[in-house]
Amino acid sequence: MRSSTILAFIFMCFVCSIAKTAKDEDFSEFDDFDHDEFVDETPSSTGATPSTPKTQSNKQESLRKEEEPQLKPNQIKDEEVSIDDDDDDDDDLMFDEEEFESSDPFGSPNQPLSDLKIAEVPANLTGNHWEAYYCEGIMIIALLGYLINFLIGRTKNSQLATTIFRSQRDLLEKNFSLVGDNGQTKTGQAEEQTDLMLKESENLYILWCSGRPLVDSMLLELRFVKRQCLFNSLAAIVKSINDTIVYTVDYSKEDMDTFVFCLARKRCIARLHRDMIDLSQFCLERKAADKKRLSGSYQMLTELSEASSAIIDTRITDFMEKFPDAIEYIHVSDQYTGTKTQTTDPQSPSTPAPANTGTAAQQQDALNISERAVRRVLIVAFNLVPQNGHSLQVTSEDVCNDYLRFVLYLMDRVSLFRLTSKESRAKANKNRHRIEETFLKSVNQQRQEQAQQRREEQRRAEKEKVMKSDDPELQRKWDEKEHKREMKRRQPKMKQMKIKSM
Amino acid sequence: MSDNRRPVRVHRFRPALITQVDDALPDYMNLMGMIFSMCSLMLKIKWCAWVAIFAALVGFANSRSSDDAKQVLSSFMLSISAVVVTYMQNPAPMTIPFMQ
Repeated sequence: MRSSTILAFIFMCFVCSIAKTAKDEDFSEFDDFDHDEFVDETPSSTGATPSTPKTQSNKQESLRKEEEPQLKPNQIKDEEVSIDDDDDDDDDLMFDEEEFESSDPFGSPNQPLSDLKIAEVPANLTGNHWEAYYCEGIMIIALLGYLINFLIGRTKNSQLATTIFRSQRDLLEKNFSLVGDNGQTKTGQAEEQTDLMLKESENLYILWCSGRPLVDSMLLELRFVKRQCLFNSLAAIVKSINDTIVYTVDYSKEDMDTFVFCLARKRCIARLHRDMIDLSQFCLERKAADKKRLSGSYQMLTELSEASSAIIDTRITDFMEKFPDAIEYIHVSDQYTGTKTQTTDPQSPSTPAPANTGTAAQQQDALNISERAVRRVLIVAFNLVPQNGHSLQVTSEDVCNDYLRFVLYLMDRVSLFRLTSKESRAKANKNRHRIEETFLKSVNQQRQEQAQQRREEQRRAEKEKVMKSDDPELQRKWDEKEHKREMKRRQPKMKQMKIKSM
Repeated sequence: MSDNRRPVRVHRFRPALITQVDDALPDYMNLMGMIFSMCSLMLKIKWCAWVAIFAALVGFANSRSSDDAKQVLSSFMLSISAVVVTYMQNPAPMTIPFMQ
């Protein structure tokens, strides 16, 4: 019995020594831990490090069990129970302070908590994501609103144009052999293209008519309010701008006599007088239209009083009584060259297209023409406003035919009118002669300026060439040349003075 | 009633005869659209990109038929790409500067 216990004891020691060496080899990295740390150890549930003390404690327990087989179950229980202690204490025990350089989170309790900065979580990352994008939602709604207004406005303008065209089509086809032309199709195919007006933009529709006696052509323009743009339509409401129909009739030289005349509403006559080149050149002052049995809201600009008396006859006055605010302006001129804003040089011989001629070659061509390019025109502008409580579309259907008849009458009247009194004719000729002279002078001046510029450029080029050549001989010659030129320029003045003194 | 039509006196239409209206709005809007798109792409400002889309839309609405459609289309493309790129760089919601 005794020998067997001794043998068992020796065997256990042998096993322990083996275990210890194994432990030493496997867990040599954890040798830093003090044994004191594991006196009341409890194995933590997480991490590799805690597992070693666990095995250690197990080993120790087994050792203790062997060494003290009389270990009380209570103690064992305690040890077992102690296994379930808090992990925090365990952490404190297990972690060596030297191993961790970071600040101790449970450091001095005297530090104030205000050092902590709690960052705000962005709104789009918390809870309901889409609510944070309210600005984007507003922008999208605004864009959709503008788009919807664009579609509605465009449709409205288009319907209005179609209504007006349909109401005038018959009368136009009776009076013009060509109704509707885009300038590109061959005449044989013209019939296919004339069903609709030409759409220049969402608020501008045009119709070209030609083939009538006494006139060259008539251009019908429907200038609507920009309903397709929300901002423009709001501005139109504020400024009380309305839709207009403009008839522009072109005459040839033989079809029209020489006079300039304008009848317009007070609100636009000042602008016309300022902007229209022919009105500012030929018509000096504004006169009230009361004397001609017209309403007080109209004024006249006229070059010749005979012309104004001839144009404004009973038919005109009756029409204006029937439709009081329909006519915006009537502009008759044989010297029409557009507005001042369209042409850089008011006297430049350009067509009323934008004449900002950019290239030097174009300017040169313009200066080579000795005559002003003028048009002989009758321009009548009507306001399209809803009348008698009807909608705009119904009103336009009713009145457009009357407007067209009025224009056709006026067209023929202007063409047939001839100045009778000699004084009027003399005055008209004198005015035109004066304007023509001014124009020729300005053209001459421009030509001279251009020639001067060209000479300067040539001289500069020569000078550069001479300077680059580095030849003192050449430079000296050039300097002599320059000196001679200077002397020549100064000499004529002296000569003139000599003649005068004699 | 005598026929008032004279085929002999027919003159063809010339676009130069249309009364020129000085409207620079579509050009300004195109330019604004491009500037705001560039601002949004380079400075990563979201509201600039949205304003660029608006400007492109206003320019398109006010354009004339004779204008080149390519310019309007390129303006649109640029503004939409500005919005997409700006949001890809930073998906956070837009903030309007003077409202913060």
